[in-house]
Amino acid sequence: MTRGRGTGRRWLLVALVALALTAGPPLARAVPTRPVDIDAGTLLGRVQAAEDRPWSGLVETTGTLALPDADQFSDVAALFGGSTRMRVWWRDADHWRVDQLSTSGEQDLVRTGDRTVRWDYERLQARFGEEPSVRLPRAADLLPTELAARMLRGAGPDDVTRLPARRVADRTAPGLRLVPASPRTTIDHVDVWADADTGLPLRVEVYDASGRFLTSEAVDVDLATPSEARVSFTTPPGAGVERDDVLDIADAANQYAPLIAPQRAGGLEADGSNGAVGVYGTGPEQVVAIPLRDREADALRDQLGVTPGARQGATGTRVTVGPLGVLLTGAEGEGGLLVAGTVTPPTLHAVARDVIAGYQYVGVPQ
Amino acid sequence: MIRVELVSLLRSRRTWATIALVDALPVIVAVLLAVTDLGPRPGTGPAFLSAVLTDGTLYPLAALAIVLPLFLPIAVAVFAGEAIAGEAQQGTLRYLLLRPVGRTHLLIAKLVGVMAFVVLTVLVVAATAYLLGIGLLGHQSVTASAPGTASVSGTSLSTPELVARTFAALGYAMLCMLGVASVALFASTLVRSPLAAAMGALALLVGSTLLLTLDAADPLKPYLLTRYWLAFVDLFRDPILWHDLVRGVLLQLGYVVVFLGAAWANFATKDISD
Amino acid sequence: MKVIRTEGLTKRFGRITAVDGVGLDVREGDVFGFLGANGSGKTTTVRMLLGLVLPTSGTVEVLGEPMPARRASVLPQVGALVEGPAAPPHLSGRRHLALLDAAGPGSRRTGRAGRVDDALEQVGLGGVDRRPVRTYSLGMRQRLGLAAALMRRPRLLVLDEPTNGLDPAGIQEIRRLLLDLNAAGTTVLVSSHLLSEIERTCTRVGVLHAGRLVLQDDLASVCGPTGLLVVDTPDPHLAARLLVGRVEAVDGERLLVRDQDAASVNAALVGAGVPVRSLHAQRRSLEDVVLDATSRQAIA
Repeated sequence: MTRGRGTGRRWLLVALVALALTAGPPLARAVPTRPVDIDAGTLLGRVQAAEDRPWSGLVETTGTLALPDADQFSDVAALFGGSTRMRVWWRDADHWRVDQLSTSGEQDLVRTGDRTVRWDYERLQARFGEEPSVRLPRAADLLPTELAARMLRGAGPDDVTRLPARRVADRTAPGLRLVPASPRTTIDHVDVWADADTGLPLRVEVYDASGRFLTSEAVDVDLATPSEARVSFTTPPGAGVERDDVLDIADAANQYAPLIAPQRAGGLEADGSNGAVGVYGTGPEQVVAIPLRDREADALRDQLGVTPGARQGATGTRVTVGPLGVLLTGAEGEGGLLVAGTVTPPTLHAVARDVIAGYQYVGVPQ
Repeated sequence: MIRVELVSLLRSRRTWATIALVDALPVIVAVLLAVTDLGPRPGTGPAFLSAVLTDGTLYPLAALAIVLPLFLPIAVAVFAGEAIAGEAQQGTLRYLLLRPVGRTHLLIAKLVGVMAFVVLTVLVVAATAYLLGIGLLGHQSVTASAPGTASVSGTSLSTPELVARTFAALGYAMLCMLGVASVALFASTLVRSPLAAAMGALALLVGSTLLLTLDAADPLKPYLLTRYWLAFVDLFRDPILWHDLVRGVLLQLGYVVVFLGAAWANFATKDISD
Repeated sequence: MKVIRTEGLTKRFGRITAVDGVGLDVREGDVFGFLGANGSGKTTTVRMLLGLVLPTSGTVEVLGEPMPARRASVLPQVGALVEGPAAPPHLSGRRHLALLDAAGPGSRRTGRAGRVDDALEQVGLGGVDRRPVRTYSLGMRQRLGLAAALMRRPRLLVLDEPTNGLDPAGIQEIRRLLLDLNAAGTTVLVSSHLLSEIERTCTRVGVLHAGRLVLQDDLASVCGPTGLLVVDTPDPHLAARLLVGRVEAVDGERLLVRDQDAASVNAALVGAGVPVRSLHAQRRSLEDVVLDATSRQAIA
């Protein structure tokens, strides 16, 4: 027994074990998916049919957009500019629960009918409120199912092509690529991988001209319908309870601004809104127009003004972050109209012009 | 040898001094919280630290979140780094091997000794924190109309559930130290100086913590030593989120297999010339 | 029976050959003196005998079994002191011995305290109290190390510089202890760089020089008479004339005479009126033997 031989053999053994342990999980994930023979149109139909299908699981999203971090919009900036982990229990569009996880707590959203509860563990607080007709994007909107539904809404078989299947959440998921035909959108293409059996979207990647800026993937999926208890909320002992009259700045503007936005703007149809806030377009080309009061508009204008690439024009201040265009009309002390969406600058300006021109003024609601 | 190792550990003054040092931080934090009544802002500070202001029984968990990222692993790295290199430096390694204690047996005994230290430390920290939490911090049971504690997910946890999950969290935290201990033990068979061995393990610890904050390191993250350490919080979500906990345990076991294996590969036929 | 037997034992550290083809041969009942200057490869050889260092090539057999393959069965029968004693500084000597005993296999708890006491008594530490080892003198540590080696009544004792740090009385005490143990059947290997110590205790000697075993023989035969007589006289010239043809060398008032018969030489000198201060048969000193062996090695 000499040192050289025995030691070499032992090190080799350890190296092999280490290799097996590190390479094992990626290899297991790389197990080829079973062949899926389905054309793009059929798959699109299946995905669209699976909208609001019950499921539960764990979702991870990553966004790479550096949005201006203005006070009222900081949650949105965090959502599109970082990673989010969510647990999901989804019975149907009106009964679901999405827990946004952090290392030291949770911010949960429980939707029961038209009532929504927001639970914040670190504040030990439950906030009850009505589900508003218009609101800013929130974590639950980034679920692959929600994202796919939004992006594929209105798409037809001619807009999509097939992508090779991949393994997502240990399921075989054939892929679908949507390349928007509209010249108004800034979104280059959207890739969706959906469960081969049910059409449930499991992974969504969204690209602009310069590359991918948003990914959402279900890392664990259970296709059983979650129990009703799972998607209900009872305030735990010791927690504070509050009632929200308004959810966010968009909801507030929609409810309280004495205006009604027009039904068409910049060549886009309104998306079922009848308040002060207008949401126009469907699928990858969507734009929102929110009237802001002086204080909010000024703060946002300051923030936009110092954002790299900001343009001051006759209409107002415009910023482009990746695919997202943001335009705030007006000047200091005048209030303004915030127009934001995944559309090109000319469309942005057209929407602003049409909305301002088309506002109907109404009495202040009681 | 394992028994001797445990007896030596329990009788060593150094063991208790180290435990006292690790325990000091949660004690200071508890006193400060009790005096100022100022919790960390949401999204900052260790987990559960804001919750303990209303419910002192959660303080063992907050204490765990305080010592787990840095204090405990440093102590573990120092202890495990000393395991072989310390015996060699003291000259007692050759006499142990001549006794004879099998070399593989010695490595395992040392790892068991270090883990016994971890168990002891975590239990002491948790026990002190419980007493401090009850004595100094919030009294949930007095103010709440319904008995129980809020889970992270906003459901209600009964006291038995809370106790069971707290012990599970303590156990998980102990398991998390296996990786550091194995790495330090391996380093300890590699170098002559116990300090160098501890520094080696700490370098990995710091490196892992740093890489975790880097998006570019995403492909590496599932393999990083500290990746799943704070997943004990998942035990207090409702239902328990097993995803990271399971990966955390497997990762630590992987570290044990690889680094204890490497320690064995290096040490089994190493020339003992100290 | 061979207690230690090595063949072609070689150890290389990188490009340096520390031990080169050593063939040790220690028999049962020997007090074997293992001599060598510091850096001659003595300690490395001892470590290879005990399985601490693994040979690059060659074989080792201790107590009839191959090492280090059978160390689990060999080492319990061996007591050793390698490169100085060692003990955790914060423990008492008694506690250290008890823990060391408990650490190994096949140690029963019953009678452990007695075994510890016996070993301490043997090395003259019987009265030692609960003081920690860090307060011990060098000599006390040395004795504690010896006690650890003696704990399990070994068949073979391997002692590296056992009298290091002891005062002359202590050295004598330890020497007597070794001889007593040897008389009771323990084979002893003592390695040292001190010739006088080996000369006084050992029955056989091996000399290591630059990694090679240059001499291995019974002490009695290497240090035997040289066949010369040493004559010390105030009148060397007369004595030389009288003993002409037999005088090998004259060194001041000392003559070396080639003759076996001291009595007749003495009679001849005294008869011729030559005063004789002393007259004795010359024996080779171990120092001469070692110097001779190592210088031959150097030339070769």
